[in-house]
Amino acid sequence: MAAPTYPGAVEPEREAFVASGDVRIHVVEWGDAAAPALLCCHGFWDHARSFAVLGPLLAARYRVVALDARGHGDSQWADAYSWATHIADIAAVAEWIGAPLDLIGHSMGGGQVVDAARALPQAVRRVVNIDGFGPPPMSADDEARTVARFSGFLEQRRAVAARPDWRPYANLEQLVQRRNAQNPRLSPEWLRYFVFHAAREAADGWRWKADPLLGQGAGPWRPDWIAPGYARLQQPMLAVVGSEDDTWGPLPDAIVGPRLAGVRRVTRATVAGAGHFVHMERPRETAALILDWLAAA
Amino acid sequence: MRLRHARVELELHVLSERDGPALLLLHQLGGSSADWGEVPALWPGRVFGLDFSGHGASQGMRGGVYQPELLAGDADAALAEIGPAALAGAGIGAYVTLLLAGGRADLVPAALLLSGRGLDGGGAQPNWDISSLAGLDPAAHTPLPDGCDPRCCVLETDPRPPDYAAHFGRAARRLLRFEDGTSRPPWWAAAGGEAVSGTITDALRHLAGNG
Repeated sequence: MAAPTYPGAVEPEREAFVASGDVRIHVVEWGDAAAPALLCCHGFWDHARSFAVLGPLLAARYRVVALDARGHGDSQWADAYSWATHIADIAAVAEWIGAPLDLIGHSMGGGQVVDAARALPQAVRRVVNIDGFGPPPMSADDEARTVARFSGFLEQRRAVAARPDWRPYANLEQLVQRRNAQNPRLSPEWLRYFVFHAAREAADGWRWKADPLLGQGAGPWRPDWIAPGYARLQQPMLAVVGSEDDTWGPLPDAIVGPRLAGVRRVTRATVAGAGHFVHMERPRETAALILDWLAAA
Repeated sequence: MRLRHARVELELHVLSERDGPALLLLHQLGGSSADWGEVPALWPGRVFGLDFSGHGASQGMRGGVYQPELLAGDADAALAEIGPAALAGAGIGAYVTLLLAGGRADLVPAALLLSGRGLDGGGAQPNWDISSLAGLDPAAHTPLPDGCDPRCCVLETDPRPPDYAAHFGRAARRLLRFEDGTSRPPWWAAAGGEAVSGTITDALRHLAGNG
């Protein structure tokens, strides 16, 4: 089928694959290749085209590169996923781009660009974190379910051997409906554009490109570990949230505030009328905010 | 025999075919099932040795993610093949043994933790003063033996909170820690269970319920 369009969404001007160890990371670009670089990192289950409207707006002044995280979009699948290897992928793409550069991340990608900036203090100048301030603290019930969650993880791992890929959907609209549950605030046209690039068509139907193994995780990581990492960030951070309640946030300020309290140079901003997907819902306002901050920071 | 954990092929070795309860042996970081020497002969039943992913005759992980919970998935694939079994593990294998003793208590009647290489340097929480990429760098770790995926080095320094280990220790049906005088990381004592000492023969006798 013909690729859907969406007002303001611009086809990437360039694309490439970057090796990160034995995994190939797909990147797309907008803007002058000789301009200062911005690297955009998307959220969990998303992909580089989530920046298809914001990226071209930022490209007025920057070379904008957006990556597909491993296991997402057109990047290669791995046998398992970890936060640290996502950071390594960002570092590999940053090295491919060349220093210096700025990082923008949304949700999962927002948290990751903070850690990538900590890992690359010489290369990364500034960080924009769009509603990527981590999950809420663990409750006592969460803590008590530690072993049960791990047992569920083992069951998931056993199930992979029986069903290594997603089931096919009959048409793209079914995938759009599925994604609508996570993005009720996005228009059907935006979702159709976004989901088209998140899926591939085969003889038996449409499947998500994202690796089903992405949803499997276990381990001792806990939200209490976010703030101490933030406190080691050397670069300035623009911390952005939307004003509206949404499926994935924003978290109450009683949680985000203490996490950001240790950041040495932080600017906090709220985009009116946006939910969690700030850059997709209000791309023009978000672009203006980021460009102004980058010009001043 | 070949097993599959998710997309990775693993090698499960049959080390003893004596009639009796099954024992699954889980090696240390950088090791393999060839490490166990006399141990299989000391057990009154069938003995299996698993090569973890990235080790021995098993495949490595595309993408290089090695975590104790994933190695526990390797060992769980072995339990799916052989059924209920006592576990004994050394170093990283001991931590995997602890996870499965709690998380698969229905399949693991007893578990023995042995000292060895793995999770010695990670501490109870991350070291926020170093880059998150440092843990991934084989050059920053003691080299692993040839044949082992160098990216397994992360299993040396993965942070492991003691209270997390304690959850699994409490859920285990029977957990033994073999105290051989070596210094162990904080999660070791937090796992709880019963401390045993003496020789490996004594420890296996305890494990078999004859101690």
